[in-house]
Amino acid sequence: MMRRLGSLLLPLLLLQGPALAHPHIFVDAKAGFRFNDAGQVAGFRISWTYDAFTTLFLFDVLDLDRDGDGALDDADYAAILRGETEWQEGYVGDIYFEVNDTVKPHLVPVDAEALYRDELITIRFDLPLATPVDVAGQDVVLRLYDPNYYYAYTVAEITNATHLPDGCAVDLVPFEPDALTSDLLVALGSLSREEQPEQEGIGRMFSDEVILKCG
Amino acid sequence: MRLNWIWPFAVVVVLALVAWTVIPWGDLGQWASMKQQEFQNAMARALHAIRRGDAQALWLLCAATAAYGVVHAIGPGHGKVLIGGAAFASGATFRRLAALTLVSSLAQSLTAILLIGVLVFGARIGAREAADLTETWLAPLSVAAMGAIGALLVWRGLRSWGRLVTRAKTNHGGHHHHHHHHAHDDHTCGCGHAHGPSVQEVKSLETFRDAAVLVGSIAIRPCTGALFVLVIAARFDAFAAGCLAVLTMGLGTATFNLIVAGGGGMARRLALLGQGADTDGVMRLSALFHMIGGGLILSFSLLALLI
Repeated sequence: MMRRLGSLLLPLLLLQGPALAHPHIFVDAKAGFRFNDAGQVAGFRISWTYDAFTTLFLFDVLDLDRDGDGALDDADYAAILRGETEWQEGYVGDIYFEVNDTVKPHLVPVDAEALYRDELITIRFDLPLATPVDVAGQDVVLRLYDPNYYYAYTVAEITNATHLPDGCAVDLVPFEPDALTSDLLVALGSLSREEQPEQEGIGRMFSDEVILKCG
Repeated sequence: MRLNWIWPFAVVVVLALVAWTVIPWGDLGQWASMKQQEFQNAMARALHAIRRGDAQALWLLCAATAAYGVVHAIGPGHGKVLIGGAAFASGATFRRLAALTLVSSLAQSLTAILLIGVLVFGARIGAREAADLTETWLAPLSVAAMGAIGALLVWRGLRSWGRLVTRAKTNHGGHHHHHHHHAHDDHTCGCGHAHGPSVQEVKSLETFRDAAVLVGSIAIRPCTGALFVLVIAARFDAFAAGCLAVLTMGLGTATFNLIVAGGGGMARRLALLGQGADTDGVMRLSALFHMIGGGLILSFSLLALLI
């Protein structure tokens, strides 16, 4: 019944509204866990690589490569890092560490660096947890998603910044669309840059899972 | 017998409803936005290559913008409904519609070039400001203008319909076919000097003024993709290349809109199948098409303004 209703209304949705569909910014991400000496999860190692179009958009917004030589200088990298890693109060970087379905709070990026390779901008950083978490025997998932799905993250690779403790394994489970999420993606596809999806936290439904199992 | 004209029309309505429900709009839209993303990245790559001084890259950029234009036209906006609705309502020839479609798409590209030409070189603004300006002011203006065109078409349809009905009444019904011979003598016509509209009067887009309004309502609002290409091209000292690329983007948009215009015109012809050239049936239908096409444009415009 929902699907039929959807197919009747969709043309209307698609034909109205300006600009492009959600999502608008595509990020190839790498993610991994950092452990402390006690074998607890102390934080994460994250890397974001923007798509070519967004990279060029950053050129314009941050006024990068003023001299036009095609290479970024230190001032350019500093500008990128300011924009990407100086988070406003309450912003969590679209990074969610769920332990038994509860999100554990983290701090802000440290040891960040910006790169410009193959004409794509990449930002890498460590993200410490507010308090290290003992994960033995727990359901542990790290997700990268924008709740509003303006940014679409794809976790391309697991990075292990520190050695995994004995008995721990990390597994990447990519998002697989099903009937429900396909319909949602279609509906989101009709939203313009200025609009927000009605459903709060919808981005989580399309997120890849980095699953950690210890013990 | 009097309702003969309604059957082909009913078939078209049913076909349209079937197409509306059967076509996988969602998948189509998602495919279009995926492709748009792909071509955006190709544009970005080509712009980098142009900055590096790669001569071939201009053609890559133009190919990417043309392809972007096509899939962007499939996606939201861009006057598809206006073009299709006007084609269905107006009864203009396909050649005329094609010319109007092409001119409006290219005019839209020129608006982008003009806007960025003035703003970037004059006021040194960035892509984001240009896009904000467009979305805040020009987009609603364009939608309002399109809505006005829709309302005008509806009004013309109603007016023609009213005249046809008045004439039918004063003709004592039943004798439609003979009114041309005796309309003058038999009646002291209460409907002013005209005895009713001719087929020409139940058409639109025939005058330069109509055409200019249609083109203007589309051209007034440049697409943000075009603005972006121009701003970056200007940053990379390749504004001329950007202009060329944006014009090919317009050609791409026109390509898809031509299909829509053709579809609208075809639906009209199909609905008129079996009708004589200058009968009441044709005129009634033409009046009705004005109401439907105009109503479609009007409701989409209102939807876009309100949501």
